[in-house]
Amino acid sequence: MTNEGRNFYQEFEVFSSKTDGGQVQHQFSLLAPNEEIALVMAQENFMRREPAADIWVVKRSHVRKMTQEEKESLQRLDNKEYRTTKGYGYLRKKWREYEQNILDEKEIMSWGEDKQK
Amino acid sequence: MSMTLSYDRLSEEEKHRRFLDRIEKGEKIEADDWMPDDYRQTLIKLISMHGISEIMGALPEKEWVPKAPSLRRKLGIMAKVQDEMGHGQLLLRVAEDLMKPYGKTREEIMQDLFRGDLKFHNVFHMPAPTWGDAGLIGWLVDGAAIITQTNMLKASYGPYARALKRICAEEVFHAQHGEAIILALAEGTDAQRAMIQDAIDRWWESLLMFFGPATSTTTGTSKQDITIKYKIRTKTNEQLRQDFLDKYIPRVLSLGLTIPDETLRYDKTEEKWVYKQPDWSEFKNIVRNNGPKSKDRLNLRINAYENNAWVREALSPDEAVV
Repeated sequence: MTNEGRNFYQEFEVFSSKTDGGQVQHQFSLLAPNEEIALVMAQENFMRREPAADIWVVKRSHVRKMTQEEKESLQRLDNKEYRTTKGYGYLRKKWREYEQNILDEKEIMSWGEDKQK
Repeated sequence: MSMTLSYDRLSEEEKHRRFLDRIEKGEKIEADDWMPDDYRQTLIKLISMHGISEIMGALPEKEWVPKAPSLRRKLGIMAKVQDEMGHGQLLLRVAEDLMKPYGKTREEIMQDLFRGDLKFHNVFHMPAPTWGDAGLIGWLVDGAAIITQTNMLKASYGPYARALKRICAEEVFHAQHGEAIILALAEGTDAQRAMIQDAIDRWWESLLMFFGPATSTTTGTSKQDITIKYKIRTKTNEQLRQDFLDKYIPRVLSLGLTIPDETLRYDKTEEKWVYKQPDWSEFKNIVRNNGPKSKDRLNLRINAYENNAWVREALSPDEAVV
């Protein structure tokens, strides 16, 4: 029994989605000896009540997480207006001078829709 | 990455200062983040005890699965037992990730429990001889657990807070499951009413003890100061006990039941309940595995562990390689 408990368990991260094609969300982690049992345990541990359309289990050693230091590097500096429409807000006023509307996100994203008469 | 300071290059004091800063700002500490040793050790002790208590707590209720009075009640209590085991699994994962730097795993948690080094909650050392006890556990023991657990929903340690969020959502079902059993008995025959009164009389001291002593002078140790300092919880043991009394005494009395403490009263000027202190030396005795059912329940757990050893062997990845 000396080494048995130590080698038996492997760490798995559990993900699931509530609906077909829905976003996959991280749920929690669990210990299991293999993927098949990890799936059974995931259902037992996390889906006793909430709806699930799909469950993924991933060995934790296959997930490269960020270190605390790396996570800090994700903090955005607040000087990136040139990357967003926020930096071009003055266009609305400009176009108005030419009696045109601005082609903003709402307008452009609507172009794919079939026009209903 | 050059923009950030390398954590490794910071002095211990600087790391500690940043850690306290993060907690102060309400940021969540994650498993791989830097944390002071006493924070890690406090969490390990708290969460492994909490996790193992969920598992040991399923044992007195499990006794009532074959004896539940109807199919509906049987399904209800089975679902609750399953939940408790699930809660144990969640919490042990949180504890195990914290123990990793010390090279400890679930195996050590189990061995610590079997040896008596890892304690479980005082209430789970007590007998549950009647169906009234089964109802009372769901109603008042889970009620007490809800009071302490909801107080930690915003704990500074992220993984624990997330586990508690899942757990508390299910506790609502447990509380109502307990109330359903108690209300059915309370509206039943004289014998059934006597059964719940007996259960209350039997459990009252244990329920007061559940929240722990008001100060460390009572039993020699108390983790409440450090858990409050590190924002793992916000209320003291006594505040939690008062919350429990506030919420549940009116409900017990409304059913025509009594509390086995003639001195119990609400002090309006002090705005708190005055009650007879439980026997705290007995509390210490109970949690050292000298309670009425301590040995039996530990043996149940040890037997389950040993009887299932062959399953672990058969599924061991080591075996698969051979």
